[in-house]
Amino acid sequence: MTRVAAVVLVACSVAPFAWFASASFKGPREIAQRRPTLVPLEPTLDGYRGAVDKGLAGWMLNSLIVATATTLVTLPLAAGAAYALSRTRMRGRRILLGLVLAASMFPQVTLAHTLYGMLQSVGLVNTRAGPVFPYVSLTLPLAIWILASFFREIPAELEEAARIDGAGPVRTLVRVFLPVAAPGVFTAAILTFIYAWNEFFFALVLLTGNDVRTLPPGIATMPGQYTFPWGEIAAACVLATAPLLAAVLLLQRRIVSGLTAGAVKQ
Amino acid sequence: MLRIALAGLLLSLPQEPAPVELHFLMWKPHQREAWTRALRDFEKLHPRIRVRVEEGPHSSSELHAMLVTKLRARDPELDLFLIDVVWPAEFAAAGYLDPIDDLFSEEERKRFFPGPIEADTVDGRLVAAPFNVDAGLLYFRKDLVKAAPETWNQLAEQAAAITARHPDLFGYTGQFDRYEGLVCNLMELIRSNGGRMAPSLDERAEEAVAWARDRLIGPVAPRAVLNQRETESREIFLQGHAVFHRNWPETWKIANDPARSKVAGRVGLAPLPRFEGGRSVSTLGGWQLAIASHSPRRAEARALVRYLAGFDVQKRLTLETSHGPSLSAVMDDPDVLARFPHFAEMKRVFFAAEPRPRSPDYAELSDRLQQTLYAKLTGAEDGVAVLPALAPMAVLGLLVFYLSRGRRA
Amino acid sequence: MRKLGPWLAAPALVTLAVLAAVPIAGALWQSLFHETSREPARFVGLGNYVQLARDPEVRNSVLFTLQFVGTSVVLELVLGLAAALVLHAKFRGRGLVRAAVLVPWAIPTVVAAWIWRYVFDDYSGLMTYASDVSWFSDPFWARTIVIVADVWKTMPFTALLILAGLQTISDDVIDAARIDGAGPWRRFVHVTLPLLRPALLVALLFRTMDAFRVFDAVFVMTRGKSGTSVLQFLGYKALFDQGNYGKGAAISAVVFLLIATMTVFYVRSVPSRLMEADR
Repeated sequence: MTRVAAVVLVACSVAPFAWFASASFKGPREIAQRRPTLVPLEPTLDGYRGAVDKGLAGWMLNSLIVATATTLVTLPLAAGAAYALSRTRMRGRRILLGLVLAASMFPQVTLAHTLYGMLQSVGLVNTRAGPVFPYVSLTLPLAIWILASFFREIPAELEEAARIDGAGPVRTLVRVFLPVAAPGVFTAAILTFIYAWNEFFFALVLLTGNDVRTLPPGIATMPGQYTFPWGEIAAACVLATAPLLAAVLLLQRRIVSGLTAGAVKQ
Repeated sequence: MLRIALAGLLLSLPQEPAPVELHFLMWKPHQREAWTRALRDFEKLHPRIRVRVEEGPHSSSELHAMLVTKLRARDPELDLFLIDVVWPAEFAAAGYLDPIDDLFSEEERKRFFPGPIEADTVDGRLVAAPFNVDAGLLYFRKDLVKAAPETWNQLAEQAAAITARHPDLFGYTGQFDRYEGLVCNLMELIRSNGGRMAPSLDERAEEAVAWARDRLIGPVAPRAVLNQRETESREIFLQGHAVFHRNWPETWKIANDPARSKVAGRVGLAPLPRFEGGRSVSTLGGWQLAIASHSPRRAEARALVRYLAGFDVQKRLTLETSHGPSLSAVMDDPDVLARFPHFAEMKRVFFAAEPRPRSPDYAELSDRLQQTLYAKLTGAEDGVAVLPALAPMAVLGLLVFYLSRGRRA
Repeated sequence: MRKLGPWLAAPALVTLAVLAAVPIAGALWQSLFHETSREPARFVGLGNYVQLARDPEVRNSVLFTLQFVGTSVVLELVLGLAAALVLHAKFRGRGLVRAAVLVPWAIPTVVAAWIWRYVFDDYSGLMTYASDVSWFSDPFWARTIVIVADVWKTMPFTALLILAGLQTISDDVIDAARIDGAGPWRRFVHVTLPLLRPALLVALLFRTMDAFRVFDAVFVMTRGKSGTSVLQFLGYKALFDQGNYGKGAAISAVVFLLIATMTVFYVRSVPSRLMEADR
């Protein structure tokens, strides 16, 4: 029974994507025909060529830059807050947690207008740096939450030992604590990166030039001038997803444990 | 001594001014080579200026969003751009456009088709220059259709007769997706029935819309047209799957290009049909050249505007892309008429093309119109009944309540 | 270390204050003005909100957004629970199944939206082969497809959260119940489910807040036509396409208030001991 359910689960999860991926290898004529074929009868790489033509490579690079920048900013900030939350007896931890939780629910459109004005006044609209600002504020809560869960698991004796050995607070943090917390940091980094890579709203609004666009708005506004370029769209989607899929499949265990670690404690 | 002499020599040499890079935002051209040639020739005439083209989306609605975002951000890489004929009022009111009254004299303005010039004149100032004229036209398979229909009902009858003989064909394709094109298509139907669209639909308008809903979409045109814009609806015609097709003038060249069209050489062109007692109406479309008010290169942009709106370039581009020129004299030119004999009649259509409602708030006006029209066409009001809408939330609330109450087993 | 705490947390807090709290306040303030790209700001108090209340398009958008949130979240919870149970079971190839289930989650939402739009496309669509319906021009189907796409994409996340909860349930408790003679259904309802409550609630909370912010799928699949307009999309249209800043700000404030209300409801009804608390 479980086996059947597992098969159904896998099929439902993978089939739609596989179907679309097969379209990326089909020419317009085969796509337009009514009878669907899973394996292309006349496979072609035109879709991929067309997608690259429209600027896919540039979009990927921009996504990489923006997502990396976001992760590099969010992680240290989150680590600090998570540490304060989970390992110090700082006052107002509950409030901090509440604020962090509150921030995770802010709708993008509500942030958009003022944030746009702020970025515009410093000339950062339509630059790769622009989206990093809203992305950091959108990823901080989740990163803090994950890191706090991980940090909580680490025995308190670790810092005690370090202090006894004469290490100052900063040294303790960097040399002793962080290496042990590395898996949590890694997980938070992956999730932050994935969020920034996939983010659409701010990318759409802040990046209008094709040379600075990231993948999501590039792919979303792809429709072409001749026919509806399903082959190209599918190819672009496959290429956009491939790195993420590879990362997720390889790091599947890490991600699962990251999301599930300390999520619920009695 | 030598050093001073050298310095003096260097300073006295004429300085080569750095080339100015002009950023031109336009939609993806169908015939890119024609454009490239025209722009390269401009650069030869003005060696100091380099034109850098950025291609935006082909759809008017998408381009609008993109332009608004860039103009609001005072994008430094935006000097000259194309705007749709319904945007000047909005863009001028927002202060995005640099007025160009000095660029064209009264005499010169009369040489353009009146519709676009009027659209480009806001509060007495000329804020954009007409680049091309678009008007809705009826394309048809002249190998299947003996005489172009004069009324919409005739079109439906002819389509029915032909598709009876050729069951694999659709009768008609047009643009009925929920976007600006819907307003254009339906305006042609509504006004040709003597109806009025704004501020609200009158009786004759409702009649025309009902006809489209019941007699056109479904029986004659596939329901898929409700999700189609220019590109998709044209493709069906180009593939030879449609008898009649409504689109803008540039489709003529595409439809007769054997590389793109399976029906090249078998395409006829006519003014759009009307309803009995009405007159044939074409929606006025067309793109205007506009200069960004924040651009530091307005002088160079003006040069490009005069060039692109000049007779020579208009003639060349008309010959090579079959767009409707903004200068009426181009349509009288012998070379043009030789290539496009139907232009003689098209000139009348262009003169008579009717503009859409004019307003600085056109974006919202059009959006509401699209909403209303689309809801009527799909035969389903977009309204959400309250109960089905809130029921899932109620279930959710109950779930939360149930899960949080109760004790351990 | 105690003294270090506030300093460590400060940068993150300041960032959130500047990049989140200030813009929210800004939106609320802006919503009290009539301002467009063509007209300067003019104080109108609650005028924008009154206009929104009278606007049928806004009303429909609110209703569909609520319908979307309720339907999606409930479906994701039920399906996520089922999936979690499968993922929790021990069988060969479990890692592979887990990886496969993560596929929809790893895909950008715009890609997921394209996939489902393709499946229901009028000409190329798989579903169109089966039926002649013009899916996206029919409000019922358009809304359904938008919901399906969202559930497909985010169900893995819910499944993972619930899986976490399942993993904390020790086998002894289940075994004890079995020894007591409880069948699988009773075991599930009376032992597993109650122990899963915290996980389910966390999943519900996160997913609800997220579902209110739906935008990507609507943009890509329908641009809000056929009754699929959701609030974030309406706000985007007003702010970035129509240049109506006052109206857009008011719409965005409404979204924010809806989410805030839901969150307060959750926090009120869930006893704090069930939510994660710091030691």
